This record gives sequence, structure tokens and C-alpha cells, in this order.
Amino acid sequence: MGNKQTIFTAQQLDAYQDCTFFTRKEILRLFDRYRDLAPQLVPLDYTDQPDVRLPYELIGSMPELKDNPFRQRIAEVFSEDGEGNMTLDDFLDMFSVLSEMAPRDLKAYYAFKIYDFNNDDFLCKSDLEKTLNKLTRNELTEDEVRMVCEKVIDEADLDNDGRLSLEDFQHMIVRAPDFLSTFHIRI
Amino acid sequence: MVTPTPGMMEPGGRGVGPTFSSSQEGSSTATTMPRRECPGAGGRRGAGGDRDSIPMGLLPPRSESPRWQQHDLNHSGYQIDQATHYDTTPPVRLPSATAGHVSMRFRGSRKMSLFPVGEAALGNLGLSEDDIRNEMENEEQILVKELVAMSTRDRIKAIRDLPMSFDDKKHIRGQVLALKSFKKSRQLNCFSDCSTSFSLAFRRCGANMTSARQTLELWRGTMKEVGGKFGTGVLSYFKFLKWLLMFNIFSFLVNFGFITIPQLIYHPTPDIPTGVSFKGLEILTGAGYFSHTVMYYGGYSNKTQGTGGWPEYNMQLAYFLTIAAYMVLCGAALIYSMASSFRKKYVLADSGLGGAWQLLCSWDFSVTNERAVRQRKNNLRIQLKESLSEKVQVALLPLTERLKHYGVFLGTWLLSTGMALGCGASVYFLCQYDKSRTRQSADKASGSLLEEAATLLLPFVVSLINLVVPLFYSLFKKIEHYSNPRMQVYAIIVRNVILKMSILGILCYYWMKDVANTFSCWESIVGQALYRLVIVDFLFIMLGSFFGEFLSNVIGTKCIQSLGVPEFDVARNVLDLIYAQTLAWIGIYFSPLLPVIQIIKFFILFYLKKVSLTQNCQPPRRAGRAAQMQTIFIAILFFPSFVGALSMVAYTVWTLPPSDKCGPFRGLNTTFSAIQIWMDDLNRVDAFQWTVWIYQHVIRSEIFYFLVSLIILVFIYIFRQITQGRKLLIILLRQQIVNEGKDKAFLLEKLQTLQKSKQNKQKNKKQVRKRQEKESTGMLQALLARQRLEQEHGDSSSSFGVPMPSGHSVSTTSSAMMQAMLAKQYAEDQDVASYRGVPFPADPAPASSSALIQAMQARQRAESQNEDEFYRAPVQSQNPVNALPSAMIQVMQARQRAESEQEEDEFYREPVHSEHPVSSMSSAMMQVMQARQRAEEEESEFYRAPASSQHPDASGTGSALIQAMLARQQVEEEYGDRY
Repeated sequence: MGNKQTIFTAQQLDAYQDCTFFTRKEILRLFDRYRDLAPQLVPLDYTDQPDVRLPYELIGSMPELKDNPFRQRIAEVFSEDGEGNMTLDDFLDMFSVLSEMAPRDLKAYYAFKIYDFNNDDFLCKSDLEKTLNKLTRNELTEDEVRMVCEKVIDEADLDNDGRLSLEDFQHMIVRAPDFLSTFHIRI
Repeated sequence: MVTPTPGMMEPGGRGVGPTFSSSQEGSSTATTMPRRECPGAGGRRGAGGDRDSIPMGLLPPRSESPRWQQHDLNHSGYQIDQATHYDTTPPVRLPSATAGHVSMRFRGSRKMSLFPVGEAALGNLGLSEDDIRNEMENEEQILVKELVAMSTRDRIKAIRDLPMSFDDKKHIRGQVLALKSFKKSRQLNCFSDCSTSFSLAFRRCGANMTSARQTLELWRGTMKEVGGKFGTGVLSYFKFLKWLLMFNIFSFLVNFGFITIPQLIYHPTPDIPTGVSFKGLEILTGAGYFSHTVMYYGGYSNKTQGTGGWPEYNMQLAYFLTIAAYMVLCGAALIYSMASSFRKKYVLADSGLGGAWQLLCSWDFSVTNERAVRQRKNNLRIQLKESLSEKVQVALLPLTERLKHYGVFLGTWLLSTGMALGCGASVYFLCQYDKSRTRQSADKASGSLLEEAATLLLPFVVSLINLVVPLFYSLFKKIEHYSNPRMQVYAIIVRNVILKMSILGILCYYWMKDVANTFSCWESIVGQALYRLVIVDFLFIMLGSFFGEFLSNVIGTKCIQSLGVPEFDVARNVLDLIYAQTLAWIGIYFSPLLPVIQIIKFFILFYLKKVSLTQNCQPPRRAGRAAQMQTIFIAILFFPSFVGALSMVAYTVWTLPPSDKCGPFRGLNTTFSAIQIWMDDLNRVDAFQWTVWIYQHVIRSEIFYFLVSLIILVFIYIFRQITQGRKLLIILLRQQIVNEGKDKAFLLEKLQTLQKSKQNKQKNKKQVRKRQEKESTGMLQALLARQRLEQEHGDSSSSFGVPMPSGHSVSTTSSAMMQAMLAKQYAEDQDVASYRGVPFPADPAPASSSALIQAMQARQRAESQNEDEFYRAPVQSQNPVNALPSAMIQVMQARQRAESEQEEDEFYREPVHSEHPVSSMSSAMMQVMQARQRAEEEESEFYRAPASSQHPDASGTGSALIQAMLARQQVEEEYGDRY
């Protein structure tokens, strides 16, 4: 069974493999990445499931995330406490969804959550404005922001309720095939 | 090696062996298990898991739940916010189920509830927190049961696809495994134990294989770096390069394994004529020394090898079949990847999503470079601004301007096509010259260096054309004004493809027509020509990246700042790759080892391009739709490139006579005759008659191909019709979504207005109540009377048991009905005539949801109407369950108060309803009469209101009035007795 590792039990690894899109090797690599963020905090033995939580500051400083305009939202969405502090499970979960293997629907679901800044299950105008400001460094005028948001809602809102539901969003994602490759963080 | 050990990570900490089963086992378990466990789901999933959603029967009651259900309730972790739990359908329904999507819809429907109106919604349904938890439990258990019924592979896929956090997935997985092992334990025997551990080991082995494959994955780090700096669009070039490299490695393995190795085994040393030695220039020209080796067609023998002790190996057959098999496999792989790419990326793609796409889908999460991120933000801003101004531009374009545009298009297209044809013609004349020169040198048979170098002239010119003309084409975009930048890219691609294919077509024509009839060992000559083309093309690609990227970078940064740092032109580079691959495919017959050169070429190219990219280029300004471009590139690789190469090779094999003096097919009329000879041989052996039959009746018969193409045509037609139908269906479904959205908006609006009016009323009521409390002391008596009546109502309401029995998740339907019934009874028993205006469904068994909605509406209307009338604050108007009796109580109270006040006759105060001024009269009786009159008026108002609403209840009006009158008389009598 390859090289022996003592970080996880075989059952733990099975569970990780069954619940994420990663192979054993990738899981171990991700564990190393996780541990590298704070070697003094993360033990090398996870067999007794220690309750370790890395603060958002550490997670957000990863090279994969540190320049991402949505890094805080990503960390918030995937962390259990909703504040970006991540356990190893959250960490694996995050990169599992952002991996190449994750199906479109799953990616769309989490992308929706990431864009849904106020957690009301709808992308309303304020969410879109926040997204827009994050993506354009606040350099658009108010008028332009408003127009873009209106345009987005106009294009993607199927049921005309003035905001985008998950269904609207998924419907849009289906028609935007690039999404699968762009909503993807290589590890 | 792996045995199932107890001690899974279970929330409850129970020891449960990890149980996996193969797919057959899973389904058989599901079908053979007693139905009691899982009434519908297990059996149905086991029977084949069809897509139809069938509402399932009731869940098994808690009492007989097996031990796996006894998990920690608090741990069940749907992170659903409870406020949005308004519209959940009764939990006994199983959501429509396909393995991968079930849970998604599960989540989707519950997360995206219809009325996100906050906590009030929860109370409105009378659902307590327990109810919700129960319901979540139920859903979870349904999910678990579905998962249990699946095969192992499906289950893992479904669990992975669940949109939940890892802990929840693990929890669900633990439950599923526990349930599995629970079921297993009943039929515990050696076989199942063995198969369990075997399948576990098998699965782990498979996972290890995947890991190993990932280790072998080429250039992972480089890919990440490129993607991080330049985004997915540029990365697609490198992916394409890698993909082509895989093709070539495969073709090399096949050719080397089946053609070259046997040849080398039987003839380890090539027969090189004396006087020919390796000079070094051969690496460029491919001629001379190489032409006598296994590099080319000419180097292979035509003998059936292996007479002495070695097994027989027919080189002719091997050569033919290997090339044929490779071509077929290549074609299949191309068609497959093209079709799947089309399906995934092109057909569904919609150009109507401009802004939405740019804002929500175009951000490249894989970009990790700070500079690139900054640039991307900038570009996105510019694009958004452009797209905002685009509409205006389109509208303003006048007719003359448009005509001018069309004229420019016509001119550029004519020019580009003319250039392509001109290039083709010049290449043809060059070929003629080359032929005469080669013939002379062949006559002289003196291989001087200069003459060898002269062979490079033709490939040099061809590659030069390929390098320069596309640059010229790219100048066109300065004068053309396509409305869509994508059209621009398409135009450039089409022009380049026309150019490259016309040159290749001319070359092929020259090889087939002239070379084949002129030279003795013509296949090797063609092979050499292709070799030279491949090599020189490689040199020119290197030069191209030097001039195209390095020089323009230097110019852009040092000399002319306005040009700026160049971008990496994905389209041009990919077309270069496609051209190179076409050469390799054509050459596969003439030079079986050409893939080696191709592999080396692509390998070097990868690093070269990577260095050139990181040193010279900047991230692309436009976030192009890389996925669609990729599809187009694969399509181009298939259609002109692969199909062209295939038809060239097929023509050679089927019609051209192979050369007499060299190669495996010497002495045959055509290459294909090798098969004919083989079949004649087989004909003598009885055991292989069927092969001969197949050969004669299938491969050689026209009628077979005729029939096949006929059938294919029919299928194409049918599928086309189906596609048309689907398109229609899509339009209809889209319309339906829009309509449902309108419905939703309408209902929401109604609800909101109702809630608003309620809130307004509450404010008013508070004011009124304050004023009232300042008022008379004579209210005291009225209050007393009210109290008594309240008690009465309290009794009756408790006897009716108004509140919903909470905790019965199944009873939602019946409770709604019960409430409706109760309300009706109430209205009849207590003389709240106003309540009679509320319609109730006459149908005793309406759909649960409609009953609920109607009950809700009725209740709310009752509330608002009551409040309209009396401006009295209900005790708890937030909660309609309580509000129902309380509202009625208040109706009663207020009316009594009004009446008693009038009967007291001590105070004259302004009544609540200013539209009904009460004149001061001496006689108490008169006042009673008046009060009754007023009440009647109000009642008639009430009846008008519901009549205008959606539920007219005209039939009940008369009787209700009479009842109200009677009831009021009773009350009055009571009061009369008291006073």
C-alpha cells in the first residue's frame, strides 16, 4: 500500500477520499500545505482528530488565495464558523470544490454562496455591487455600477423577481462553459 | 491486506465496520431486503433507478427504526437557516431522484424558499423548532436510504456531490456505511465478508492507481504557474500542446512496437550503401543516411519474417494494419473529444450573457499573480465600460457606414483568399522546380552537401509563408470593424486555415501526382519531404516566437512605447500546432517514426513557449471565451486536418502503386492488395472462413457501405428532428420559468401588502387603545362583560383544541384541514358573522398545499378584516393559530363593548368608527337597534370584500346574516338580563 504514513488512519483516509475529489496523495499533499501554514499549531498526528483551527489570516495568506479578490468570502463560505477560520476538513472541502474534478452544479452552488455576500440566498443588487467593486477596484462610477448590475439582473433573472436565485445562477452557469475551468484553483 | 476494522469515525462513537459492496451486490441487497425497512426507495433504486420521481409512501415510524437512526440529533448538520423553511413540501415526499442530482435539488429547494420573510414565517405555519428538526431528520434519512440503495461507485459520487461541509458528508457517509453493515449483518456469511474486503482492497488499489497516474502527470507545476500568471485562456494552448503530445506518444508506441521492433529484430542493421555516411546535415534534411534506415517506408522489408525458430510475422500486414488501426483510433478519439467538448462547451453556450457573464463567470480563480490580478481587474473594468457603450454604438450606425463595412469585409476576404491561392500556386511551381532538381541530382548520384541543403528550399519557403502571411492577415484587423471581437478571431482563424490547407493540398497533390510517378522509391522521398517540413516548421516556430514575442517585447518596451508588451496570440500558436500535427499524420504512412520527431519537437516547444511567454508577454487583455475556442480548435484539428491527412493516406493505400524496389509493399499493385493476398491465404484454412466472408461481404462490398450510409443518414435525420423538438421544448420551458416567476412575484406582492396593512393597523390600534384607556370609568363594566365572554371563548377554544398538534410531521395536511374545519365551526357556533365571509374549501380533501395557503389567506384576511372593523389590537396577531380565536374573541368583545357602552348610556363617546356617528338618544333600545344596524352594515361590507376576492361565497351570505342576527339577539338578551 505504498509508503506508510502515520498522519491519518486508513479509515480516515477512506473517508477523505470518499467525501472529497482528492486521491490519497493529494490529501497528504494538502495536509502538508495546511501544516506549512502553521507548523507549530498543526500536529503531525491526526488520528485522534485534534480540534485545530487556523485563523483566516493564515488561510488568506496562501499564495493560491492571497491575490484573489474573493479570498475572504471563499474562506467564510467554506469555514464552519463562517468567519474564515478553517479546520483541516474545511480546508480540504474548499479545495475539493475548487478542484478540477468537482461537477458543475457543486461549483455553481458554492460560487453562488461566495457571491452572496449578505447570505440571504439571493444575489441582489447589493451583492452584485460588492462583486463588481471587488473585481474593478472601485473605479467605476456609481452610475456605471448601477447600469452593470441592472444589466446583469436583466440578463440572468429568469423569473423577474429582481434578483438572482440559485436556479437563475445555475442556469447562467450552464450557458457559460468557461466557468468550470475558471472556478478552479490548482494546488 | 486490508480487513474491515471496527472504529469508524461515527458521531456516536459506535464501532461500525466500513462496508463497501460492489454494484451488483448493492442492488441485490436493495431488492432482497425486506420492504418494511424502506418502503419505496430501496426497491425502486435497486430495480434500476429510473429518473421519474414517484412520491414515496410514509416513512417507517420512529419506534421501529434500527440502531443507525439513533445518532446524535444535534449533529445533523444541514446548515439550513430555519427561517427560510416556509414552503417545504410535506416530508413524506421523496424528491425526484437520480444519483448525482438528488441531493442537489434537495438542497436547492430547501435553501431557496419562496418567502424569505424572517422568523414570522416560521410561526405562521405553526412549525416549532422540533418540527423543523424532525423534518431535517426525515430528509436526511431519505437521503441516507437513497445512498444505501446505490452501488458503491454511485454512492461515493453522490456523496462527493453533496453541497455540504465535509463533516456533514462524513456524517452521512457514516450513516450509510452503518446501515449497510447493519443490513449485511443479517446475511453475514463468508462470501459477503470476503467480497467486502475484496472490494475495499480493490477500491484502495484503484485510488492508488489514480495517485500514481497523477505522479506521472506532466508539467503540473508549469501548468499551474502559467495558469496563475496568464489565466485559463493562455493555459488552453499548453493543454492543447500536451494533448497533442499524448497523441504522438501513443502513435510512436504503436508504430515502434508493431512495425519498427520486428523489423529491427530480424534486420538489426540497415543496408546502407557504401559511400553514404552520417554527415550531420541529415538531421535537418532527413535525406542521405536516414533514407536507408527504418525512419522511412523504404527501410522496411516485405518478407514474412521469422522462418528459423522465430514466430512468423508478416511485415506487410503489420505495416498496413498498424497504420490503419492508429488512424481509426485517432479518429475515434478526436470525434469523441470533439463531441463531448461540443456538448459541454459549445451547444449550451449563449452569447446573450454579456454583463452577467463578465461579472459572475469570467473571474479566473486560478490566477494567483498579483500583477495579473491587477491587470485583470483593469481589463474587466474596461470591458464592462465597453459593453455599456456598445448598445449605443450599434444603434447609431447608419446605412452608408454599414455598406462601407461590408465592402471592407469583401475586400479583405478576397485579398486573403487570393493570397492563399497565390501562395499555393507559388508552392506548386517551386515543387516543379524541386522535382527537376532532385531528378538531376538523382541521376548524378553524388550527394554533395550543397545539393542536400538545396532540398531545404521548399520547406523553407513553405514555412516562411506560414510565418509571414498570418502576420499580414493580422494587420487586417486594423481596417476591419467587426461588431464582436469573437468574430474577428474567427475570421483570422478561418483565413489561416484556408492558407495552410491550400498549401498542404498543393503539396499532397504534387506528391501524389508527380513524385509517385517519377521516383523509384517515392514513398521515402515523400517521407523525407515531410521530415524536412516538420523540422523546418519547428525552426520557424522558434523564430516566430523570437520575432513575434521577443522582438516586439523589446520594441514595445524600449523603442515604441505605444505598442506595449505583446500578448500571447493563442489562436495563431494553436494553428501552428494543428499544422504541425497534420504533417505528422500525413507522414505516418511514409515515415513511421516521424512521431519521434514530433514528440521531441513538442517537448522542446513547450518549454520554449513557456519561457517566451513568461519573459516577453503580458496577460491577455480580453478574457476570451477559452472553452469555446478550445472546441473550435479541436474541430479544426478534426475536420480539415485529420480528415485531410486520412484521405491522403487512404488514397495512397487504395489506389497508388507502391514503389517496386523498396518498402514492405514492393511488387504489389496497391498497398491494399496485401490484405487481398492475406485473405486468399486464409481462404485455404477452413477455420478462418468467417474472416474471409466478412472481408468479402462487408469490407469489399459496396452494398454494405451503401446501407450503412443510408442508415446513418436516416439516423441523422431522426436526431435532427429530435433536436428541433427539444429546441421547441426549451423555449416552452423557458417561457414556463418566466411565467412561474411572474406568479411568484404576484403572490409575494400580495403577501407583502397584507403584511404591510397588518403592521399599519397595529400602529393605529395602539393609538386608539391609548386614547380609549384614558377614557371613561364606565368602561369598567364593559370590561367585566368582556372578561366573562373571554372565559367562555377560552373554554370553547380549549375544547376544540385549536393549536396544531406539533411534532406530527405527517399531519400537516390534516391539521390544515382541521384548522379550516375548526374555523368554520367556530364561525358557526360563535356568532362572529364577519368571519363567515371567509371562504373555506368545500372539497373535503384538497391538495395539502392549497389547503394550507387558503387557510393562511383566510386567517390573514380574517385578521385584517376584524381589525378594519374594530381597530383593536389582537393579543398576538403575529401568530395566526392564536390569532384565529383571539381575533374572533376580539370581534365579540369589541361589539359587546360597543353595545354595552351604548346601553350604559352614561357616556357619550366617539365610537371607533367615525363613519358611523352615533347620535345621542335617550332610549337604550334605540341604541341597540342602531348598533345592530351598524353591525349589519359592516357585515354587508364584509360580504362585499370576499365576493370581490377570488373565493366568492355567495350562498352562505343569507344564512350567515340570519345567524348573526339571532346570535346578537341572544347576546343582547344576556345583557338585558344582567342589567
